[in-house]
Amino acid sequence: MAVSLGYKNVYRDPYGFPKWQEHGLPIDSSPAGPGTTTGTASVTPDSRSLQGWAMVWTLLGIFAGGLALNLTPCVYPMIPITVSFFGGRADREKTSQIRLIAHGLCYLMGLAVTNSTLGVIAALTGGLMGGMLQNPIVLAAVAGVLVIFATSLFGLWELRLPGALTRMAGKSYSGYFGSLFMGLTLGVVAAPCIGPFVLGLLTWVAGMGNPWLGFLVFFTLSIGLGLPLFVLAIFSGQLQRLPRAGGWMNWVRMLMGWVLVGMAVYFIRPVLPDVFRVGLPVAVALAAGLHLGWLDKNQAGSRAFPWLKTIVGTACLVMATFWITSWAMKGPGVDWHSYSEQIISESISRDKPVIIDFYADWCTPCREFEEVTFHHPEVVRQAEDDFTMIKVDVTRAGNPLHERLLSKYDIKGVPTIVFIGPDGKERKDLRLVDFLPPEAFLSHMAGLKSASSQKQ
Amino acid sequence: MPNMKKSSSVLLALTAVIITVFSVWFVNRPAPLEEGTWDDVLAEAETGGYSLITTEELADLYQRDSDLLLVDTRQEWEYRTGHIKGARNFSMEPTWWERWTRADELDEFLGGDKDQTIVFY
Repeated sequence: MAVSLGYKNVYRDPYGFPKWQEHGLPIDSSPAGPGTTTGTASVTPDSRSLQGWAMVWTLLGIFAGGLALNLTPCVYPMIPITVSFFGGRADREKTSQIRLIAHGLCYLMGLAVTNSTLGVIAALTGGLMGGMLQNPIVLAAVAGVLVIFATSLFGLWELRLPGALTRMAGKSYSGYFGSLFMGLTLGVVAAPCIGPFVLGLLTWVAGMGNPWLGFLVFFTLSIGLGLPLFVLAIFSGQLQRLPRAGGWMNWVRMLMGWVLVGMAVYFIRPVLPDVFRVGLPVAVALAAGLHLGWLDKNQAGSRAFPWLKTIVGTACLVMATFWITSWAMKGPGVDWHSYSEQIISESISRDKPVIIDFYADWCTPCREFEEVTFHHPEVVRQAEDDFTMIKVDVTRAGNPLHERLLSKYDIKGVPTIVFIGPDGKERKDLRLVDFLPPEAFLSHMAGLKSASSQKQ
Repeated sequence: MPNMKKSSSVLLALTAVIITVFSVWFVNRPAPLEEGTWDDVLAEAETGGYSLITTEELADLYQRDSDLLLVDTRQEWEYRTGHIKGARNFSMEPTWWERWTRADELDEFLGGDKDQTIVFY
């Protein structure tokens, strides 16, 4: 490594640190301090508004984010509706290209207004919105809507605009209002689906507490999100005139349907009981693979089509296998104690630092902590040897002991991980309020431990 | 003919599934701590073009040479828990990918003085 860079006097000590320490040679250790640890930096906006170029760049970034949201399946249900709405319009009225563009713009505006309302509400209500989007009932509802759309894509029913809506749009002045109204309605459809993806943005806007900024941010996001749909709207007239696509189009619809089902599972997973948390994604991936790869009888002229089907089917099966084997191979996790004053005082009397994890089933980063960090072999080993690990499960509110702990440690939300040094005092600089990968968590553990060894 | 296609695609899928199971097992298997033999270490040093130094020699060098640059290549948390006094941390996995992608970073870290004595551990 260093040699190829041109350094001449390069040595390696293969015995490394353990032997050096054994010989009693000079050593040093650096406890984790603020600024050196990665991942703890939570973005705390220090101003309530952005100015000048910072604003422009931020909005550009958000616009790009909106464009990227088109990669999520949230927009799938909107594609056939958009095509049928605008395609029908182009046929019926023989509209000129310019009028079609105007309609598309109205549509885009409608979408943007709905989403911006979301932003304004977030800014006005503070963190409430984000909390709501992690609520099990809301998650179940979102998943339900996704599955309903998926069944439509499977061809079980035809997704069409409700009659009342179409009539209203038809009656309105020259149809521009109709397009706007379409956008507004579709925004309502898409917003809950997009919500979880923009949770960070919502929290950020809520933190700024500035409704205008909230409006602007989400307006920009929706323009990015709606732009491809706008283009689709303009060309949907031409699309209709294309010769009927064959079986492959049906197959693509099935594929989109399965992606929607997959996303529904992704949303609902955090609130499921343990068995289904692994079982459901595996079952869905298996079903999708078998259906798309082998059971579906759609044929196409192209020679590549059977191959595509096989590859997609195999990919789904591989995914299912991967999940199930990783789950089966997963080593033991951290052995948690439940909270008691006695365990803590005992641990402190033995100079053993304490780590308290405030956890809830419905909190995704909490689950991630449990599944990734607290199953990392090195974390588990160190936790067992040198720490007392305590978990406080606040999934259900109302436990008086938990309420007391929440106020005692000044817990604002979950996840929160509290590190208590061997002197019984909390190390506030180490406290975690977001997911941290195993390596960085080990660094935190080392920080807590080195503080204890210095004391001795 | 379509039947032929079908069986070959099933075969492909089965192979892929088996490969997945095997690789997941391979990555997650409880690996015994691999202590390379002394010969391995020697061969590695030969190909790498660097010299080996024992703890005693290093201790000697450590006392004489105040300009010595000690690089701790372990993970950050290991470095935090304890390291040779004066050593600096540059975490590096011993994979060719890391060596390839982080060469520039390492060069900057080492400071560009090509004649400096450097000891990695």
